[in-house]
Amino acid sequence: MVNKMGKKIDIDEETALQRLKNLGKKMYIEVLSRESPTFNTPLRSKSNINYDASSECLKLGEKEERRTLLNVSQSRTFMQTVAIANKTKKFLDENLHTSIRGLYYQLKFSLGEDLDESLFEEQGESNALIEDLEASLKIKREDLHLTTDRKGVLAGPIKIRDVFAGDENIIDGEKQGRSGWMITSDVDNGMSFLDVRANYVLVVEKDALWQRLNEDKFWKKENCILITPKGQASRGTRRMIRKLADAGLPVYVFTDCDAWGWYIYWTIKTGSMNLAYLGRAFATPEARFLGVTMSDIEKFEFLQKLTIKAKDIDIKRAEEMLGYEWISKHKEWVIELKKVLKTGKKIEQDALQGQRLTFVGEYIQDKIKNKEWLP
Amino acid sequence: MSNGEMAKNFKEHSVAEFFKKNKQMLGFSGKIRSLTTILHEYITNSLDACQEAKILPEIYVEINEIEKENDKYQIIVEDNGPGIPKSHIGKALGMMLSGTKFHRFIQQRGQQGIGAAGCTMFSMLTVGKPIKVVSGHNKKTIECEVSVDFKTNKPIIENEKENEGEFEGLKIEAQFGEVKYEKSNYGAYEYIRRTALANPYLKITFKDPSGQIEIFQRSTELLPPKPVEILPHPLGIGPHDLLEIAKVEKKYTKMSSFFQNRFSRFSASKVAELKEIIPDVDLNISPEKLGWQEAEKITSAFSKIKWIAPSPDGITPIGQELIEKSFINVLNPEMVEVTERKPKIYRGGIPFIVEVGIGYGGGIEAAGKKGEVMRFANRSPLLFDAGGCAITETIKSIDWKRYDLKNFEEEPIVIVVNISSVHIPYTSAGKQAISPEEEIVDEIKNAVMETCRTIQKHISSKKKEREMEGKRKAISRYIGQFSKDLTELSESSDSEKIKEILESMIGEKYGE
Repeated sequence: MVNKMGKKIDIDEETALQRLKNLGKKMYIEVLSRESPTFNTPLRSKSNINYDASSECLKLGEKEERRTLLNVSQSRTFMQTVAIANKTKKFLDENLHTSIRGLYYQLKFSLGEDLDESLFEEQGESNALIEDLEASLKIKREDLHLTTDRKGVLAGPIKIRDVFAGDENIIDGEKQGRSGWMITSDVDNGMSFLDVRANYVLVVEKDALWQRLNEDKFWKKENCILITPKGQASRGTRRMIRKLADAGLPVYVFTDCDAWGWYIYWTIKTGSMNLAYLGRAFATPEARFLGVTMSDIEKFEFLQKLTIKAKDIDIKRAEEMLGYEWISKHKEWVIELKKVLKTGKKIEQDALQGQRLTFVGEYIQDKIKNKEWLP
Repeated sequence: MSNGEMAKNFKEHSVAEFFKKNKQMLGFSGKIRSLTTILHEYITNSLDACQEAKILPEIYVEINEIEKENDKYQIIVEDNGPGIPKSHIGKALGMMLSGTKFHRFIQQRGQQGIGAAGCTMFSMLTVGKPIKVVSGHNKKTIECEVSVDFKTNKPIIENEKENEGEFEGLKIEAQFGEVKYEKSNYGAYEYIRRTALANPYLKITFKDPSGQIEIFQRSTELLPPKPVEILPHPLGIGPHDLLEIAKVEKKYTKMSSFFQNRFSRFSASKVAELKEIIPDVDLNISPEKLGWQEAEKITSAFSKIKWIAPSPDGITPIGQELIEKSFINVLNPEMVEVTERKPKIYRGGIPFIVEVGIGYGGGIEAAGKKGEVMRFANRSPLLFDAGGCAITETIKSIDWKRYDLKNFEEEPIVIVVNISSVHIPYTSAGKQAISPEEEIVDEIKNAVMETCRTIQKHISSKKKEREMEGKRKAISRYIGQFSKDLTELSESSDSEKIKEILESMIGEKYGE
């Protein structure tokens, strides 16, 4: 498949382009048959988000919203949806990328001299409709050439081919020095793994700890891929982890021992409510949780002095997590969360450096060797 | 107290004192109301005079502030009427209770209030100045100043000048204290606006204290017919009325002939019936000698006799077509519906006619008016004492939900109710509210409901039409952009065709 610029385009992009065109053709036929054009999209509200036990991730249910152009309350969003579809089709045709903010500015123009109304008035409108399109066409926004902010960093034994803006580059994960390779917004289109020799993937919540382990050449010693999402994982990072798991690598996650850290883990593992419409493409149910756990505090005496009092938000988040069936079905997690509620304590992953700086690496190695992880 | 004693007592009081004591009753209570009363006296005099003289009235009203902080204003009212002959000027403008309408049974506006002489007195009492009068009558222009001698209740005329001139009409220039101009629902402006509405043949120009001029053009050149004087019907009068009429009658020596000649439907056989009911009252006495007790017995006996209904000839309503024209002229509503009912009778003998006009939307909406009721009695606006008025009370009792006007007070609607009769039953001497006589209430209710039924159909179809139009416009504005995008997205070629089909579909769905 080639786009209008004569460039070969990737499989996901091809699917996206085809679905956009099909959407247009379907509506065009509807108009010719004098029917009001329609657009169906799964409901993205909480009531339609379910945990799918067989694929072990959050997914949208069956509920759909049906919109039609000739309904007064829907006509504006309907026009806007088609405008976004057409604009992103152009991006694909021209092989250009932009952010969702860039898209918004492309579409923020007056509907006519005599009309005191713009196609889009604020970015909130276009953001929501992009998600509708993704959910309806079952494609990712990255496939529509919409970029998102990059956040995660990677290092380790992996080579990636990156075809971009007419050039081809080979990224070597072992030659990224102290900074690491910043995980791109889109890790699918124009990106392919050439060589993945690693034994496993280690995801550490904090950039500071990643830098510590990088300095120790931990990824070299362990022959692993070392990733930090720098807090909550971005779309690109989540997708990268999913793809590495697809390449057959076990995934271990290492976060703070607090509700926020665990939430980061669960987002990587089952996906988030917000992105439930993307389902398994952004979830890695195979991921395991290394720590820090409440039991670690009991096990290592020095940690007991390094705990912090849990904040209200930590307690609240812990209570919420106990209510999620995909978490509470694991009795190990129920015990952990209840310990937080009981002791009112938490501990940062950085505390493991309390005794000596290199303790963290040993801790991780031991945990993996002894299979001391939580599901 | 006999009639003679009453007259004696009255003379012993100074006229000024009488005025002061009865200020409230005469409409001079409150600064805003007093100003409205003054305008009312002058304007109704002008209208009545023009109507009698068959002249299309043109009135100019000007209000100027003299000392705002002391509530002193100058009022100028000028008309194009027949003017007042020299010999009558003093009587008309400087003598209390001496108007030409007194004791005539005729439907005129000037039945209300105290007449222009009362205004002269009010001017003298509040600023101590006579009023200036210019009267053009039969090519002669008379200029003079008129005041009232408080001791004798006689007019005083000073600085009189007489010239030959073309001016026909009456111009009064007077100053008043204890008055206030305000552009409120009770104020002078509203009085003029409503007068224009109820008198479609009137052209009235108003210059307010800020110098702003508003002209209410006439909506018809047709003068209403001159009101016919009819004899009072026995059922329409109380003991007071009977005494007053009897007092001025010198022509008849016996009550029995006085009855037969001065009342309608009063035949010799009715006199006989009356005698049977009240054998103790001597009907052979001269009317002049009639006392209060006899008058009371007689009028109460009247109600026991079966009378032929009075003739409604004396009543001239505004008329359906003219109310409609006037409504459009003054308020310019989107819709207007008028009902004129047939003459009916209240208290068993007094004919009256109810007219109701309802205007909706358009100019009413633009002016921000909501759920407004305009009351009129013989075309005179009633601005005060709305609370106890039959019109207000009846309208309050209407179930608006039945007419798709759930929030009557929030709808852009004006209801005009005019009651015409030779004898309007006011609740009090202030003559600003109509007493809730059962038959009048029923008539108002029937008229309002009849009008509502018709206008409701217009309103709901208009509302629906507007709603559909709103929807059509709302969707149509997106069709251009949508057609362009869809053409590109579907990689088809004819954007205009998509647009055309969609527009025709919208037309089908939401009406053209």
